[in-house]
Amino acid sequence: MARLKYAYYPGCASQEIAKESNETTRLVATELGIELFDMPRANCCGAGLMTDYDYELSIAINARIFAEAEEMGLDIMTICSTCLMVMSTTNRDLKRDPKLLESTNRVLEKAGLHYSGKVKVTQLLWVLAKDYGLEKLRKKVVKPLNWLRVAPFYGCHSLRPSDALGFDDPEKPWSLEATINALGADVVDNRGKTRCCGFQVDLVTEDTAVEMTGKRLLEAREKGAQCMVTPCPFCHINLDNYQGLAEKKVQQKLNVPVFHLSQLVGLALGLSAEEMGLARHLVSMEGVFK
Amino acid sequence: MKIKVKVKRFNPMEGASPEPYIQAYIIKATEGMTVLDSLLEIADNEDPTLGFRRSCRSAICGSCAVRVNGFSKLACSTQIIPEYRKKGDVLLEPLLNHNILKDLIVDFDPFWKKMDRVTPFLTPPPETKEPLKVTKEDALAIDSSQKCIMCGCCNSECNALEIDRKFTAPAALAKAWRFVGDVREGEATKRLERLSKEHGIWDCVRCVHCTQYCPKDVAPLKQIEMLRSRAMKAGIVDNQGAKHVESMAQSIKRVGRLDEAAMTFKTLGFLRSLGMIPFGIKMEMHGKMPFPLIFSQIEKIDEVKRIYEEMEKGKGKGKGKGKGKGKGKGKSEEEV
Repeated sequence: MARLKYAYYPGCASQEIAKESNETTRLVATELGIELFDMPRANCCGAGLMTDYDYELSIAINARIFAEAEEMGLDIMTICSTCLMVMSTTNRDLKRDPKLLESTNRVLEKAGLHYSGKVKVTQLLWVLAKDYGLEKLRKKVVKPLNWLRVAPFYGCHSLRPSDALGFDDPEKPWSLEATINALGADVVDNRGKTRCCGFQVDLVTEDTAVEMTGKRLLEAREKGAQCMVTPCPFCHINLDNYQGLAEKKVQQKLNVPVFHLSQLVGLALGLSAEEMGLARHLVSMEGVFK
Repeated sequence: MKIKVKVKRFNPMEGASPEPYIQAYIIKATEGMTVLDSLLEIADNEDPTLGFRRSCRSAICGSCAVRVNGFSKLACSTQIIPEYRKKGDVLLEPLLNHNILKDLIVDFDPFWKKMDRVTPFLTPPPETKEPLKVTKEDALAIDSSQKCIMCGCCNSECNALEIDRKFTAPAALAKAWRFVGDVREGEATKRLERLSKEHGIWDCVRCVHCTQYCPKDVAPLKQIEMLRSRAMKAGIVDNQGAKHVESMAQSIKRVGRLDEAAMTFKTLGFLRSLGMIPFGIKMEMHGKMPFPLIFSQIEKIDEVKRIYEEMEKGKGKGKGKGKGKGKGKGKSEEEV
């Protein structure tokens, strides 16, 4: 099989607040032989907020990201579910509506850019589960995670809207569970895994956000999970950084360590805690790291 | 084939403190049989006490929404064999986020009250000299929101409503766009002011459940996004939701990326940002505090600025064009 190559779009959160996710992804990609090419010009996808601000503008700035990937001759891989959802819905709309593609290109051309509509958008989770393949991943594991019971947490934007994302069935997703299994860990199924972490309203209705976060963590804990894993840095912000606030809300000690997907893979590939920036998490990872 | 259909039942008249329980029925499923067909068969032949709502059997009346294997769907337009094959099981439960009256029947009063709250009828401007013209484009703008059959699937799946029962929720918000987006509406701005308050448009958590589970492709989230855009364009920006969006738009124009620290400050304002300091210190101890001053901008940020400017110019042009294209307008009316 030819080497996998992607235009790499970590997203804003993974470059700042959750940069351990970006750094670990690069290490994991190197270990697996997946080539990631930086996109130095890429702007923020708008995280859905730009769709609220102005739909056409949101389409145009996302098309600018696609134009860069097209110039590179590569498809885009992100490590953020929200980036994935925003870029995929933009792409869906541009493919579905030739007039929108045309009017968007009229704007892009003023900035010397063009998008033909051919770029595909994927994320690390899908790359592992499909393009790379879980059998191959299993063979790369040097430290099977057989001491871990992991609750998968997809959140919203890796699954819905499925007409734009089109990988997992939101009612019966499999990619995250299968990846956990391939790494040698046990899956702790939970109803909250496909529901919202609350991130989008952290700064708007904090009470709702924190209560939502608490509910998800509490369920994982009650089902016997030692930790959670998520493909999304925004989910990670709420599940990890906001866990202290969530504990106050649900009036219980939660203490659920949360892995970025890349870190769980990195752990099985033998990366160290320092390399993966585990100390950057607010909830201690010590109990689940071996 | 024979399928075991499990139904979550609840009868408020049973005993002092009745609890919901699961009852299983074996039915003979045939290809093409719907979940509603199976419920009717159970009620007709096995257990007339089973409570569920239904009427048209054609996905028009919106009465028969239930949760099938955990997700809200119309019983009449969901086939039972594919559901069974997918999950190896069929579990029917009442809608979420509504109180159960009996078995699969939920109390819809709160749903209607939410609809009431968005004034679901047109308020024409007080005086119009000539009749308002509605173009095909105008009609299309509210087309999706008019498809709603009020089945409640979206509200049942809504993650924000699960936490905050006062949230206006997707069904009523989609309905709100039907009127705000109607060119004949005279009080759109007043509506948007009301909708921008607590429990309104900005409380949506963008979980995309409403759009995913709407059986009629209303895409409530899309309608909420349009309400938000329209509210901001009408200058209703003195709320955290709008400030959050504005700071994002400015941040992308300025550095091409999301500037978290600046965004927190702009959204929450000075005093509430002070309240974030203890949390900020904890974040800083783990190296998680973003610093606005050292935030690097993307390469070729000028392209982004140019796109913003072109878009703004384009919008101005679009408006002028709309007024001047008398002939074109007439044509699209005929098409309607």
